[in-house]
Amino acid sequence: MRDDRVNWFSKLVTVLAYTFILAPMIIIVIISFNSGEAIEFPPSGFSLRWYEYIVTGPTNFLKGLGNSLKVAAVATIFDIFIGVFASLSVTKYNFKGRGLLVSFFTSPMFIPSISFAFVLLRTTASIKMMTPFIKILIGHLVIILPYIIRNTMSILVNYNWTIEDAAASLGANPAQVFFKITLPLIKPGIISGAMLSFLYSFDEAVISSFLTSAKFLTLPVQIINYLEFTFDPTVAAISTILMAASLIIMILINKFVGLDSMIN
Amino acid sequence: MKEKRNVMLLALPCTLTLLIAFIIPMVYTFIKALISDNLTYYTKFFTDPFYMKIFGNTVILSVKTTLLTLVLGYPSAYFIARTKSKIKNILIIATIFPFLVSAVIRAYGWMVILGDSGILNQFLLKLGVIDSPTKIMYTETAVMIGMAQLVLPYMILSITGVIQNIDPNVENAARSLGANPVETFLKVTFPLSAPGVISGCILVFTMGMTSYITPQLLGGAQYLTMSTLIYSQIKTTYNLEFANAICYILVFAILIFQIVANNLSNNVNKRLGSGKNA
Repeated sequence: MRDDRVNWFSKLVTVLAYTFILAPMIIIVIISFNSGEAIEFPPSGFSLRWYEYIVTGPTNFLKGLGNSLKVAAVATIFDIFIGVFASLSVTKYNFKGRGLLVSFFTSPMFIPSISFAFVLLRTTASIKMMTPFIKILIGHLVIILPYIIRNTMSILVNYNWTIEDAAASLGANPAQVFFKITLPLIKPGIISGAMLSFLYSFDEAVISSFLTSAKFLTLPVQIINYLEFTFDPTVAAISTILMAASLIIMILINKFVGLDSMIN
Repeated sequence: MKEKRNVMLLALPCTLTLLIAFIIPMVYTFIKALISDNLTYYTKFFTDPFYMKIFGNTVILSVKTTLLTLVLGYPSAYFIARTKSKIKNILIIATIFPFLVSAVIRAYGWMVILGDSGILNQFLLKLGVIDSPTKIMYTETAVMIGMAQLVLPYMILSITGVIQNIDPNVENAARSLGANPVETFLKVTFPLSAPGVISGCILVFTMGMTSYITPQLLGGAQYLTMSTLIYSQIKTTYNLEFANAICYILVFAILIFQIVANNLSNNVNKRLGSGKNA
């Protein structure tokens, strides 16, 4: 009876809670392999027809996938550059107004995405050079920036800056110190943060659905549009593939830095 | 002086990006609308019962979602923090994994379950509990279920963190001094975990107020929240100026809520810190 702290009640609720969290995702996986015409549970048989239909169906999901990957990749790389420098400025140096600057860097977190999406829609409407790709890119690089900065800051806060002094006193110039000492040490944390931000942008649908056009659709927007008119297991098949990809990313992050770092 | 220059150089690219792509558009759009229409559309929102009701509904939905996730999340967090079995790691993975799955996919899962010809209705019809499909989709219930599932992992992680930091010996001490398990929980464990509960609730409530994908897919045009109201003003009534006002009402409502809630949570933390409550 030593372990009576974890009593039957908390066990029961835990089972309920995780059934609630996981059931919709598990059901999606199961129905994606259905051989019947519609969504049936339990499925009438096993087939991969809906996976084939992703490619052979009327909606060009592969194009949307390409667009989403493009936006997520450019936004993440851009943000890693400006975000790492910004994080350095507020962790390496201690100055008046530092807290204010951190709040400024993470400010997009405190504004509803929907409001920002609408504002971008209006302010970019009259600018000719703004293609849907550029608009969505701008939106995404703003909303993922706080996550990259917070992640990088949490790494740098625990970073031992005296190593840099040691390198400098041994004759390394500031660029050498950064690229040969600091960067290699903080790289695993930054890569895992980058993967999460990439995924956030890839999955993002609020800004994308406001700024999209028929010529440039991202995958999540294509899925939403598809669901408006068709309700067959095609989306389940796409979702299963995406969830498998997320699982792989999670395993990679666990290898790089451990899952603990994802909890913040 | 050199330090100051370094800070400025490092912070410059990020500052410029945020100013150009975020702050200036947000402020410019707000002021421009204010100059051209005064407060016309804001007044319209606050004087028309139809819109005030949607605002009220969104608040109620968010409160219900928060309570539901708290009821499910607290015992789960407690279990994860205190269990010694190996299932702990599996549960942590099961908590983090949903963060990596799109809100679109997760709402789709509920459409499959709750739809008129969905799994739940198929099941109930087969059992003979109902004669015709019950309508769950496009109601408050559907949106609340979808929202709660979306945000529950945040609540669990937020509370697990604080419970893990409570020394089990504090609970043991209360027990050995004669408190029963319920008293121990109410007077020791729960107050000590308050910071995690509060920050979890702030996060979940905020997400309830501002989420768009889940209410759009599960509530549609039949059950509107603030965010889907913005969408419907743009796409169906083409009233951009009114949509603009609603956007900023949502921004200010959330900012005010965050400021008030964070002050409250700081007070609680201070009281805990000085030991008055513990």
